[in-house]
Amino acid sequence: MAGSGKTTLLQALAAHLGATDTPAYLINVDPAVADLPYEPNIDIRDTVDYGAVMEDYQLGPNGAILTALNLFATRFDQVLDLVTARAPDVDYVLVDTPGQIETFTWSASGAIISEALAAALPTVVLFVVDTQRASSPMTFVSNMLYACSVLYKTRLPLVVVWNKVDVAPAGCAQGWMGDYDGLSDAIGDDPSFAGGLARSMALTLEVFYEAIRSVGVSALTGEGLPALLAAIADAAAEYEREVAPDVAARAAAAAAAAEERQQGHLASFRPSATGHGATSPTPPPR
Amino acid sequence: MEPPPVTTYAQLVLGPPGSGKTTYCKGMAEYLRGLGRDVAIINLDPAAPSTPYDATIDVAALVTTPAVAATHGLGPNGALIYAFEYLAANTDWLVAALRPHRGKYWLFDMPGQVELSTHNDAIRGLLSALTRGGGVRLAAVNLVDAAHCADVGKWVAALLVSITVMFQVELPIVNVLSKVDLVEAYGGLENIEQYAEGMDLEYLVGALDDDPRLTKYAALNRALVGLVDDYSHVRFQTLSITSQESVGALVKVVDKANGYMFSEMDAAGLMAARVP
Repeated sequence: MAGSGKTTLLQALAAHLGATDTPAYLINVDPAVADLPYEPNIDIRDTVDYGAVMEDYQLGPNGAILTALNLFATRFDQVLDLVTARAPDVDYVLVDTPGQIETFTWSASGAIISEALAAALPTVVLFVVDTQRASSPMTFVSNMLYACSVLYKTRLPLVVVWNKVDVAPAGCAQGWMGDYDGLSDAIGDDPSFAGGLARSMALTLEVFYEAIRSVGVSALTGEGLPALLAAIADAAAEYEREVAPDVAARAAAAAAAAEERQQGHLASFRPSATGHGATSPTPPPR
Repeated sequence: MEPPPVTTYAQLVLGPPGSGKTTYCKGMAEYLRGLGRDVAIINLDPAAPSTPYDATIDVAALVTTPAVAATHGLGPNGALIYAFEYLAANTDWLVAALRPHRGKYWLFDMPGQVELSTHNDAIRGLLSALTRGGGVRLAAVNLVDAAHCADVGKWVAALLVSITVMFQVELPIVNVLSKVDLVEAYGGLENIEQYAEGMDLEYLVGALDDDPRLTKYAALNRALVGLVDDYSHVRFQTLSITSQESVGALVKVVDKANGYMFSEMDAAGLMAARVP
């Protein structure tokens, strides 16, 4: 979500990794950010001028971000080439996404970018939450549901990062994961529709917590970063176990289909036995 | 003697950016006016640079994100949230602007940022100001671009977002898969009939478990499908805004959701509703 501290976290992680001599490759995919506190290796703003897009195409801010992402996605194969070339030398590739989460999670270009990355390298999702805002039970449940939707959309291992623990009140938010009674008390005897729904969702979310990992950090103070790296390593291991075989299988299937098409085209161009010459090419299989 | 109280029926149009809210408002207004309803479109997106429809009321008269961004040095998201919170703090402006339009059919074009639904009480504050004093029957119409529901996992993701929205607005909600005509043009969606008619839940759990990357979430798949079932949210309406038939079918569903079909205002509408 916007304001949760993604960019600050990325900068803190990059600094931490730099200090411990584990190099990281940094990519910024937010076309609308004004100032970055880190120096990215690849920056979408080098390829696309957000302000110009807004003006040239007469778009609002969201339209401009989506268009900028679309333009970037058309060149993403070049980005991937750069990243995979550097991959042997770096341990981490950190990708900063746009503040308006839907422009990335609910757009074709966002999906292209994340799926392209996931097909090339072990990829995990860090869902950053403003712990302070999420100390309201309704906001907490909404955030967790949204994280769940991101899990199902990307089908990649997920880490919920509770950011701003330096200012968040104790006992809330992250504590509610796995403390259904505490959350239920916080929702209170709210007889409203939202209260009832919140309680049902809280039960479902108990199952969600088992499927993901969560870490409390402060991007500002650096608290929790080693634990975050451990969670990322755990998620990467899950990628290797669960996602990599599927990616490999799909790549193999796509290659086989392409091969088949190729053969089909060749066959249609070979002269037939009766010498009538080439028939019209067969249409590609759907 | 006081005139009888007037009931105003309305749609709150929600959805991520790019889902087609503004196009929907334009197309839906045209259709409803064709049915003889007196429609007022209210644009509540402070970031919309201009609208393709004639907005009866436009939040731009109160606040716009470019102005906020310039004055307070905020980025696009911060500016939008600020502008919307400003609107929520000045609901009397909106209530006064709406007063002469009571009794008409209102369409609210909303901004697309999810933070407004999840982090923020601004929408709730707005809705309670609108419905204070009674007489306003709202239904939320949640648009999702059909292209984002290419497989069962993505569809569950769309449902979860819809439940999150429903959770915050506490209104009857009609879920809509928009732009199905565009999807058809590119080969169609495998399961679109099932999304429309309501998928069998066991089938849904099975389909989720069959996806090699979702198999490990078997317990969660089951829990989510159970949740969805509890809140009867398996149905999505399909919409092609350029098709009279499609819009008409959706209007019937929304009329049930906000109660319009029980009003006596619109004989033409009742006739249309009776057509199978």
